[in-house]
Amino acid sequence: MMKVRTELYWESTNKYGEELCGDKVEAVQSNEETIMVMADGLGSGVKANILSTLTTKIAVTMLRQGATIEETVKTIMATLPICKVRKIAYSTFTIIRVDSAGNCYIAEYGNPAIILLREGSVVRLKGVTREIAGKEVKEYRLKVQRNDVFIAMSDGVVHAGVEGILNLGWQWENIAQYIEKVSKVEHTIGSLVKLLSSATMNFYMDKPGDDATIAALKIIDPQFVTVFTGPPQKPEDDQIVVKNLMEKPGKKVVCGGTAAQITARVLGREIKTSTEFTVPEIPPIAWIKGIDLVTEGVLTLARTRELLIRYIDPHAQYKELRQLEQKDGASRLARILLDATDITFLLGKAINPAHQNPDFPKDLSIKINIVKELAEILDKMGKHIETIYY
Amino acid sequence: MKVISVCVGSSCHLKGSYDIIKIFKKLIKDNNLDEEWELKAEFCCNNCRNPVSVRIGDSEPYSLEVDNAKAFFKEKILGA
Repeated sequence: MMKVRTELYWESTNKYGEELCGDKVEAVQSNEETIMVMADGLGSGVKANILSTLTTKIAVTMLRQGATIEETVKTIMATLPICKVRKIAYSTFTIIRVDSAGNCYIAEYGNPAIILLREGSVVRLKGVTREIAGKEVKEYRLKVQRNDVFIAMSDGVVHAGVEGILNLGWQWENIAQYIEKVSKVEHTIGSLVKLLSSATMNFYMDKPGDDATIAALKIIDPQFVTVFTGPPQKPEDDQIVVKNLMEKPGKKVVCGGTAAQITARVLGREIKTSTEFTVPEIPPIAWIKGIDLVTEGVLTLARTRELLIRYIDPHAQYKELRQLEQKDGASRLARILLDATDITFLLGKAINPAHQNPDFPKDLSIKINIVKELAEILDKMGKHIETIYY
Repeated sequence: MKVISVCVGSSCHLKGSYDIIKIFKKLIKDNNLDEEWELKAEFCCNNCRNPVSVRIGDSEPYSLEVDNAKAFFKEKILGA
């Protein structure tokens, strides 16, 4: 049976002059299912923010607990405060729910039609409109494929350029074409979303007339990665840790000179090194047969941590995310980790005395802390993390 | 082929392996030693407390500062 997981990325831009965003995205991921909700509250600023926050929170919480879509929509409508100006309680929503068997359900109310990017082409999904709690909700049901990307947008995206450089805004068909084109060169959904978001901003000439949100959900295989770093405290554990590394399914990564030597020794294989520095700050990678990536330890891990922090930072620039496409050890490691769904760190606790000297950058002296922080960031991204200490 | 290897472990990297590799690469090229000497990177040779570890063949690691790299090359490689 097909087993799928998801990768998520979203970004919102506030209406010009507003401190708060009226759009909101909320998601929960587990091994069994993913629920992502994007809502656009009526108006802008704090009022819209409250409406959309309530909507996404209620939807995610109720659906996760097993409530039906009818119950959920009814609850949202009954809960939202009524706008004094317009005398209605209103927030749009797009709910995407994917289970591990690949069944996808989408409920859409008031938002631009969802985009599905499949095998490089945009598919316009056919939905069925149904009345739920007095609202016309469009529902889609489909079976997903690996690498499908669902892109939900708030109307701030399709209105980009209105009163500015595009008379009719950035229309759905044009957005779809644009996505088809750029998807050929963008390899992370993070950079795809950022690119769409910055294009939106450009059409608004940096003064967006509405909150604009782009939320992407990518279907991925369960992807296992095991990272061995740091020599074990007890040398007799060397055998065990390498055995564990080799027996785990999926990709294998070794970070650190000593860890690499232990791996090579236990496996009876050679370490091939290179003198090519892609970026001067990161030592070159090496190769051991049967291991997908061999890098230096603490500097590479620290850089990977920085790259991932930037990846999840909503203020990061598009070009900063493009750094992930580089060929140095840290960027390679970051890409492997981003593609993963389940990551195991085999973390040796032996301390390298040379790293304890006062000339060594302070934040690098404890590799365990770097790995812990890395694990926290990856956990925030919805990945399943396990750390085994030796 | 004779081998000169420079450690690129964390500690050595921070102490200047990158520059030493660059210097050696240039010296090997300038002296037309490409056929005779192979420059390799090496992962940690347990000499982390000292400056950058450089080994010639299977020798014990020499500890090199960036400033001494040229002189070292002259002595050990050109003088050999």
